[in-house]
Amino acid sequence: MNGWMNKIVKVDLSTGKQTIINIDKDVRRKFIGGRGLGLKLYTDMCSADIEALDKKNALIFSTGPLTGIIQTAGRYQVTSRSPLTGTIIDSSSGGFFGANLKKAGFDGLVITGKSDNPVYLKVTEEGIEIKDAINIWGKDTHETMKILKNELSSNISVACIGPAGENLVPFASIMNDKDRAAGRGGVGAVMGSKNLKAITASGKKQIPVNDPEGLKKMLSTINTLIDKNPVTGKSLQLLGTSVLVNVINAHGMYPTENFKRGVFNDAEGTSGEKIAETILQGRSACFKCPIACGRKTKTSKREGEGPEYETVWAFGAQLGINDLETITEANYTCNELGLDTITTGSTIGCAMELYEKGVFPEKLVWGDSSNLVKLVEDVAYKRGIGKDLALGSKRLAEKYGRPELAMQVKGMEIPAYDPRGAQGQALSYATSNRGGCHMQGYLISPEILGSPVFMDRYSIEGKAEIVALFQDISAAVDSLVLCRFLQFAISIDTFKDMLNIVTGLDYTEDELLKVGTRIYNLERKFNSEAGFTRKDDMLPARFLEEELSEGASRNRVVQLDEMLDRYYKLRSWDKNGIPSEEIKRELGI
Amino acid sequence: MKNFDVSKLAKMIDHTELKSNSGEKKIKNLCDEAKQYGFISVCVNPANVEFAKKQLEGSDVLVCSVVGFPLGMNTTEIKALEAKKAVKQGATEIDMVINVGAMRDGKHDYIREDIRRVVQASVPAHVKVILETCYLTDEEIVKACELAVEAGAHFVKTSTGFGAFGSFEHHVRLMRETVGPDIGVKASGGVSNFKDAMRMVNAGATRLGTSAGIVILEGAKLFKYAPEAWLEPEIPCHTCPARSASMAKLPKALYQYYTNMCLKCDHREKYNKFYE
Repeated sequence: MNGWMNKIVKVDLSTGKQTIINIDKDVRRKFIGGRGLGLKLYTDMCSADIEALDKKNALIFSTGPLTGIIQTAGRYQVTSRSPLTGTIIDSSSGGFFGANLKKAGFDGLVITGKSDNPVYLKVTEEGIEIKDAINIWGKDTHETMKILKNELSSNISVACIGPAGENLVPFASIMNDKDRAAGRGGVGAVMGSKNLKAITASGKKQIPVNDPEGLKKMLSTINTLIDKNPVTGKSLQLLGTSVLVNVINAHGMYPTENFKRGVFNDAEGTSGEKIAETILQGRSACFKCPIACGRKTKTSKREGEGPEYETVWAFGAQLGINDLETITEANYTCNELGLDTITTGSTIGCAMELYEKGVFPEKLVWGDSSNLVKLVEDVAYKRGIGKDLALGSKRLAEKYGRPELAMQVKGMEIPAYDPRGAQGQALSYATSNRGGCHMQGYLISPEILGSPVFMDRYSIEGKAEIVALFQDISAAVDSLVLCRFLQFAISIDTFKDMLNIVTGLDYTEDELLKVGTRIYNLERKFNSEAGFTRKDDMLPARFLEEELSEGASRNRVVQLDEMLDRYYKLRSWDKNGIPSEEIKRELGI
Repeated sequence: MKNFDVSKLAKMIDHTELKSNSGEKKIKNLCDEAKQYGFISVCVNPANVEFAKKQLEGSDVLVCSVVGFPLGMNTTEIKALEAKKAVKQGATEIDMVINVGAMRDGKHDYIREDIRRVVQASVPAHVKVILETCYLTDEEIVKACELAVEAGAHFVKTSTGFGAFGSFEHHVRLMRETVGPDIGVKASGGVSNFKDAMRMVNAGATRLGTSAGIVILEGAKLFKYAPEAWLEPEIPCHTCPARSASMAKLPKALYQYYTNMCLKCDHREKYNKFYE
């Protein structure tokens, strides 16, 4: 089938057995690839009673029909159950690994079981080899990639875990192509639980395309759309994602000191503009991407990539820290040790507030950056108070008797937009299938950035509709496996055109959107079976009861209940947030 | 509303590139895009008319040239000459800027004659008269529209995009009410997304001048999903010219004019918290 290599292999690390998984044509049509196909494979194999770090849990790497063909489509999706939240998790990463996996001849890998000893998978056009990884176990991600590249070839892509994944930190990431991360939800810990250190991928196989001439025109159209959009054509190119620091701070919703405030007085000193003036060395791009939002940077000690907006915040305003050099070092360290920067920073922020309230034993104070990098290392190795911090904010705050101080949904830490300043984003956080996540429905786009149009950020009218729409479009795009940033510039109609040109199929935009709806509902169904209900579609009380006292979002709280009722009704879910039999039947899940 | 027609919207857009730093490559792209997306015209500076016309050969995309742009302070003779030359080089639409200072001074005969001479020099092309609404009071906008109609113009147009602010629904509605159904109204400046575009069309605009045409059309494809939600009314202050009045950009008298408009507005009490 055009757009596909038609090969997904299941590797059982307990036995070493490899099995080719045949994907039914109808399943492919209904779930496409990436997040959708990964989810379908996962839910067919794993029931909700299998714990995240159980060897029976599956870890699925998947690409999509556009992978290795379209701009930004070097990505891959990882699907599993999250050790941080207990929900279904899909985590996406950029770079080139996905394209290389596909050019090696594989649409995806399904990893089950647990190896007795550390291993890595070598994926080439010849097949998959399970190789001994004893010499790289314990190494950080950069060293691991370097060793494997030296050993195999400089042309390979490596996706691997660092010490955090090996030590089963529940928010460990999988890193690839040096500094790209499948960061959220602890997929790195799932990989570590299987004694799987890395996967290497290389190949030069041709990916079949139905309409090469049409593709040529489409690639040009995509470039035009990216160029014309003010976000993708200018802001992200010039200042990277950290362009948002000053914007969000000016809207009074830049979370400061564990979301106690919405304005960070030192935001300017950690902004995208400041990064450009100080540590920036150049831009970096994922597969064929004209945006090149990545930032190559340099501190007085070393060189690396980032920090991105969320990371600038997590180690900056969230902790009251204004020292860009240390923030950058903490970012580098997370990348090397394989940690999600958002959860790491936010959990430290939670600990700072616990200390402020007199219930955390170690002195951690707002604005003190002197120990930050060491704290990050301690988290990865679960050393000292790092053992506590490695719980993530929810379990940490519960342990110290103040659960309300964890700024999380379903156990996943909320990122760098205070929901009191954007009601739609608040609903999106609450209803995200993987917890406090901004990627499954980025309402900041219409509520703050005016893309595709401005919506009144304080109003709850129409927000349920737009949140559901954005969640479904995002799920569909994640199944093509394209970068979320393309959604600023490109509509579902154009995504559908890309899919049809490459595959020769005849999707309509409505059918593609329905794929997204199906994915969102199947994720929800899995979570329901795992015990998640309306009580988990909840924001911390701070956002519902405490008004911000300063800045442009002051005197606001989130009006969640009203929006949730409307949202459930729209989704055909019951009052407890469980998908109805009718919608499950309609979507075939 | 659910069947909002994107191709019809394209036929209302003058795909615009008027920056002083726009070279031939940009104009070529502009023309290629206009053909690809079905825009009614490209709107360019006079120096680019001939080049644009060549790029558009064989297509139905029109060439629109600005005249006396962007300040409108050239003499009438120069404007007429500039229009005549543009038409000779292939422009079928002329967007001329009035002498805003003369309008503010109440020199109505001068304005009428300024427009009439350009209309005469532009035959057979259509003429759109740019009022630069940000620098006029509502009374002056009404009068300028009347003068444009008297002088034989085919359209009245809000803005150059180089003034203190661009087009607002309030002004478009006022212009439509003044010129009646037989004269075109073009909204330009600040029309950057499909909601802006729809707002202007609903207020009476029959043409939109924008460099964001592609962004507008791509965004408009989303409209059919959740149309009511996209159309949720915004806080009225967000779409009011008084809200955009900048002390730094407007002359004192006009700034006071807009401040007074805001102070007397019925919405002020309800939305006063947004002025804190």
